[in-house]
Amino acid sequence: MKTSYIVGIVVILILAGLAFFMMSQPAPTTTSAPATTPKPSPTATAPATTPKPAPTTTKTKTETAPKIKTPKDILIIAMDTSDAVSMDPARAYEFTSCFVVNQLYDKLVDFELPDLVNVKPEVAEKWEVSEDGKVWTFHIRKGIKFASGNPLTADDVVYSLQRVIKLKQTASWVLTQFVSKPEQIEKVDDYTVKITLDKPVAPSFFLATLTFTTSSVVDKKVVEAHAKNGDMGSEWMTDHSAGSGPFVLEKWEREAEIVLAANPNYWKPGQPKVKKVIIKHVPEPTDQLLLIKKGDVDIVTDLTAEQINQLKGEKGVNIVKVERTHIVYMGMNVAVKPLDKEEVRDAIRYCIDYDAIINDILLGAAIKWQTVIPKGLLGANPKTPYKKDVAKAKELLAKAGYPNGFEIELTTPPTYPQTDIAAKIQADLAECGIKVKIVQMTASEMYEKYRKQGLQLVLAGWGSDYPDPDNNAKAFGDYRVKQLAWRNSWYDDYAADLAEKAALEFDKKKREQMYLELTDYILDHGPYAILYQTVAQHATRDWVHGYIPDPTFFLLDLSKVSKG
Amino acid sequence: MDLKTYIARRLLLMVFVLFGIIVITFIVSHVIPADPIGAILGPQAPPELVEKVRREWGFDKPLPEQFVDYIWNLLHGNLGKSIRTNKPVAEDLMRFFPATIELATSAMIVAILIGIPLGIISAVKKDRWPDHISRIFALMGVSMPVFWLGLILLFVLYYQLGIFPGPGRLDPGIEAPPRITGLLTLDSLLTGNFEAFTNAVWHLILPSFVLGYYASASITRITRSALLEVMSQDFIRTARAKGLPERIVLFRHALRNALIPTTTVIGMTYGSLLEGAILTETIFAWPGLGRYSTGAYLSVDFLAVMGSTLLIAIIYSVANLIVDILYAFLDPRIRYA
Repeated sequence: MKTSYIVGIVVILILAGLAFFMMSQPAPTTTSAPATTPKPSPTATAPATTPKPAPTTTKTKTETAPKIKTPKDILIIAMDTSDAVSMDPARAYEFTSCFVVNQLYDKLVDFELPDLVNVKPEVAEKWEVSEDGKVWTFHIRKGIKFASGNPLTADDVVYSLQRVIKLKQTASWVLTQFVSKPEQIEKVDDYTVKITLDKPVAPSFFLATLTFTTSSVVDKKVVEAHAKNGDMGSEWMTDHSAGSGPFVLEKWEREAEIVLAANPNYWKPGQPKVKKVIIKHVPEPTDQLLLIKKGDVDIVTDLTAEQINQLKGEKGVNIVKVERTHIVYMGMNVAVKPLDKEEVRDAIRYCIDYDAIINDILLGAAIKWQTVIPKGLLGANPKTPYKKDVAKAKELLAKAGYPNGFEIELTTPPTYPQTDIAAKIQADLAECGIKVKIVQMTASEMYEKYRKQGLQLVLAGWGSDYPDPDNNAKAFGDYRVKQLAWRNSWYDDYAADLAEKAALEFDKKKREQMYLELTDYILDHGPYAILYQTVAQHATRDWVHGYIPDPTFFLLDLSKVSKG
Repeated sequence: MDLKTYIARRLLLMVFVLFGIIVITFIVSHVIPADPIGAILGPQAPPELVEKVRREWGFDKPLPEQFVDYIWNLLHGNLGKSIRTNKPVAEDLMRFFPATIELATSAMIVAILIGIPLGIISAVKKDRWPDHISRIFALMGVSMPVFWLGLILLFVLYYQLGIFPGPGRLDPGIEAPPRITGLLTLDSLLTGNFEAFTNAVWHLILPSFVLGYYASASITRITRSALLEVMSQDFIRTARAKGLPERIVLFRHALRNALIPTTTVIGMTYGSLLEGAILTETIFAWPGLGRYSTGAYLSVDFLAVMGSTLLIAIIYSVANLIVDILYAFLDPRIRYA
């Protein structure tokens, strides 16, 4: 008896010790602390409910330059890279792939973050468009060299864009929606390229799509040297690079690390500012938290909102936020009664407690946004008329002939935070008398059904493939493109026509006006309750400079990031 | 029956077992209501693109035709191409499996080093405090969630004390040795890169401990009970009666007999470790089979699911066979039949 008593005490002590380690807030390690005592940050990050211009940085004041723990000329990023499939610009369509491809290649034109409205020259130093908006002429910048040393000429540009059209890979539609045949891309002379579109579109729209990684310029000679079986080098390009971007792909060890080395021939003077970028694959956010706190990595990208809150006030760590061009919404299938009645859809929008979702579930990793074009893009409409108003919702339901509510299914993927949001919506709608049955299924199964118009209410998100309002306007407004409007059986010709018209409008001001009109219209009549716009929160060590987080997933530019 | 015929017969049986597994996995992975193309293209892909890619991958064909195609390719040594990684499944497995072999083997060593001595102590000091402690230690091993233990160890030994390195197989900045076997420790030794070798070993310790501790529990328990059973037998009493020192009785007479069931457990545990350990691999950012196969299941990547299931089935069958063969060496009374 006595021995088991002792053993019991020993075990309790061990567990208590472990629990103590687990609970205790870690003391800052001396190694990563700045040389002098830093003052606590006087200004905390803005509360999530007050949106600030993107991006914002929470800085801990330091009087002298911090002591760098990681090698000074190597930038180390810890992120989850498991989605990466191929580093071939004609194939890349995932977050990690596009992020990396953008470091390896230059595009004809680009956005300079955080500006997502005005396209800037890159490989093309200037361009003209014909009166009818169909023929584009791009003048290639002279003196750009590929990493191989080959000069970048019109041949490479023509080859690269034709390659995308010929290979017909996942992301090719971004280009082929305007240019369906390879012959439409022609060389005029060594430094001039002519692109003829199928039909005229708004210049800002076409240019914005050219900033997507599919339009990267590849080194024709190098790629052709590695082509086999007519694959235009695609297999080799999966884990090699042939570009003129600030970095070259040195190594990609899947699920371990992606190593980028500075391109010695890079044409922008003084860039890149580091010799190497190591993207360490760290799938577990808790690991990322430990790594950044310890100072063993420079940037982490996948912390949870809770972990970000934990990091506030942590010495030597900055939090960088940006509003992503990603909207989370609840779709309402108009083919399902009583969602066909506008009053019912409006009532549902008045039942939801948007603030609670943003503050209590997402802990501020989102902003309140209720229109279909995200903040930051042309035509973004800041109206947020919907807030929880049970009385008004009940009144609308009574008007629609459903004073006692009804029963409906809400489908959601079985992942956080969707499950929590679904439960919150269920509780909110119950207050209005609407009985929601939550159906959980894997995302792939859910989208399979959603594509076939087979859901009632659905919790889903939409990220912009290129920073132009058209992507969202058509998806949410134009049922003819068979995206979200169609999936929710909302066949509204007014919205569809307006979305199409706006895509063709040459005048930027008028175009913006059309999108404001369209988003207003969808806000009132559409089959959606837009819940929020997501906010990306990254943590960087205070020795990292020039890191501007990307609101999309293909515009991040590491060439200006330095350490010191 | 001699050993060769026995092995040949077992290998033949294995073919049937594997075929059964292929059929079942194929049916299960194809009838579930999920769409691999949709999963890989994402929610925004236009429907025409989904249809086009579906045709390209041959998923529009009738199920029996797809099955015949699969078997035909398999007989030609072709496991197909993964939708998720866009690479041949065989190549993917070759890339991910070595990391798992390395981790599983060192975890197995840890498990044996912990499990067998604890089992012996436990049996020898039955019902006294060393027995209680080792049993509680073993119990904690099986009941503690590995992700929890992994995170705690990383927090204390990496973040707080800085004794061990953080997650991953090598520190960033340490040049990995050229790929020969894929086992970093072995490759770095073969190429004489001692910096990489020590770094790799250092990185291996925590995950091996987490996984090995978990696996040691069953070894402790089976060693203890087997040893206790043997110790109560007549020949042990005889050995003691003829005046042999307890050490000789224990290690020469009792232990050898007690290790037979332990071998079974070790073999099966090693098999299960080689499947890959998704939680440990995730916590320690270990690019192993567990992460590959889980990723394949989640994105309904049929051919990768089939390939990794097949590999796991082969591992189990082979582990089973080796255990059965080992029996005869440990206990000459056992004959193959």
